[in-house]
Amino acid sequence: MALSLRTLRNAWTVARLEWQLEWRQGHQLAAVGLFAVASVYVAFQASDQRTDPASWTAMLWLVYLFSGFTAIGRLFDRERSDVRRYLQWTADPLGLILGKLFHSILTTTALTALVLGAFILFLGWPQGAGELTKPALLVLGAWLGGLSITVTLVFVSAVASQVRAGSGALGAVLGLPLLLPQLILSTRLTRGALSDTPWAILAEYPLFLAAISAGTATLACILFPYIWRA
Amino acid sequence: MNGAWNWIWKGGGIVLLAYVILRGFSTPLQPGLVTAAPSQLKLGMQTVTLTAAGQPFGKEGASLSEFTVVLRAGDQLLKTETQEVQPHGITVAVNVPGVLPSRALDAFVFTPSAGTLFLGNACFVEEAAKGDIPTSYVANKPDESTPQLGFSFPFQPNIIESIRNLLWHVPMWFSMFFIMGLGFVASLGQLRTGKVMWDLRAEAAVRTGLLFGLLGLATGSLWARWTWGAWWVSDPQLNGALVTVLLYSGYLILRSAMGDDDRVGRLAAVYNVFAFVMLVILLMVLPRYTESLHPGKDGNPGFNKYDLDNSLRAVFYPAVIGWGSLCYWMYTLRLRMNRIAYSLLSR
Amino acid sequence: MFALTLLNSLEGFFFGSGKAHVVTGVALIILAGLAIALWRMDRRLSRLEAESKESHR
Repeated sequence: MALSLRTLRNAWTVARLEWQLEWRQGHQLAAVGLFAVASVYVAFQASDQRTDPASWTAMLWLVYLFSGFTAIGRLFDRERSDVRRYLQWTADPLGLILGKLFHSILTTTALTALVLGAFILFLGWPQGAGELTKPALLVLGAWLGGLSITVTLVFVSAVASQVRAGSGALGAVLGLPLLLPQLILSTRLTRGALSDTPWAILAEYPLFLAAISAGTATLACILFPYIWRA
Repeated sequence: MNGAWNWIWKGGGIVLLAYVILRGFSTPLQPGLVTAAPSQLKLGMQTVTLTAAGQPFGKEGASLSEFTVVLRAGDQLLKTETQEVQPHGITVAVNVPGVLPSRALDAFVFTPSAGTLFLGNACFVEEAAKGDIPTSYVANKPDESTPQLGFSFPFQPNIIESIRNLLWHVPMWFSMFFIMGLGFVASLGQLRTGKVMWDLRAEAAVRTGLLFGLLGLATGSLWARWTWGAWWVSDPQLNGALVTVLLYSGYLILRSAMGDDDRVGRLAAVYNVFAFVMLVILLMVLPRYTESLHPGKDGNPGFNKYDLDNSLRAVFYPAVIGWGSLCYWMYTLRLRMNRIAYSLLSR
Repeated sequence: MFALTLLNSLEGFFFGSGKAHVVTGVALIILAGLAIALWRMDRRLSRLEAESKESHR
């Protein structure tokens, strides 16, 4: 798997195509946004505007997780039929997966803004969190944690899209256990960022999350050609 | 040659397991204190009975002067008078002063042949004021004897006799990881060569490993109920085990969802490789960021020393090898069955 | 609280304290699990045997 200029150009094309389709069709993005906002609103109603940092974190990552499933779960559905046959001849698999991974970075950024924004708008900061001393760490943690989740979901939805019947439920069954390490790290990081834990102790979490994202992305790139070459 | 080797590892595994079961059940447990009655002490003169489990630490009607019991409050010792010694119990008279450095008392029993037995927080004295023990109540530290117990398993508080589970429950996980590692290698082989024989191996390995994983979960749950009082506790080992079982159940679900699609081998191999790598990451992450109740980890410091215990080692290592070879045997049986099924299918 | 008098007999090793039952339980779970697995494998092999006889005919 040589990483040539052509592969990169391919990747760029795929990512741009995904993004354009996303905007032009609109309904996918709107669905994710609606899902995120609606679930935050449910959390807001259920918690009576009073949340402690632990449940705030739990709700944040639950909403993030399922928004991620909604956003990434159907990423490979377009490559199922005729388009797939066409792409198999023209795009090389490495370019395709790199494009999808790049797309997942954009999705993560949008999701982070959306989910965090909705949380602050509806729920505000958790009670007892005191002065928020590390807003940068909170945002960085949400973004990195989200990235590690979406990258894994890209791989899972690539596998699930190969199964002809009922790939939606399969994505969740295969994905949830694989996402546990990322979720453990993300929730600890968010809780730390909301409390008065010093920076130095929390610094290893973003590093570990970045390493997991990079590792899973590399693994996805290595394994994807085997899924693709049918 | 091959036939002889087959006999050696299969027979050897059975012999090892027989040794493990015999040794595991017939080895006595070292004595250790379990309870003190009453646990709430009043001020003044009263009697306390300490009860032990495991091997007897004294004979019926043994000479009372050989046994000394001392209660510790803070860093000071409170003296007692031995009144009665039984194989698994000792009754002492103690005069509790009105001032103590701590309201919680630890008990030490000095025995002639079983060494020193310890029970932390044995009794509480609610009414005691804080201060130094008056000198007339203070005990001198008696001489310790080296225990002469022979081949015996170490006593652990809470665990007590159930330490023998170590020879059943823990090798289940070792066997599972061994056979899942084999499945990982088989999946790599399938991706490299694309040959169906590697896929048959991976499937047999995952199914066998899952069986051992489920047995590990069930036995662990029962053991947790006895020692920690709950069927399920939040603990990195338990969470890791559960996720492992979920991951590999996902593998089987993926296979069955594919049906008779001819890409099933490659797709399952891709998932297996990814899952195994994530599992390794998970097992690195979990213990660092979640607290453990498990032996030798945080939260149960009393268990640290069992890593060093030679009597347990002499049975535990054969147990791991024996169960491992049994697991591998089951894997080969399943593999042969898979091969026959495949050859029938492709005829 | 425990049947302490049984000690040093075979029973004593199994039930010398209240917590030896759990070892018996664990051992039984494992043996039952292995037996079920073997039984299922046996059943599938019988099915395969029947199939192979059919295809030989």
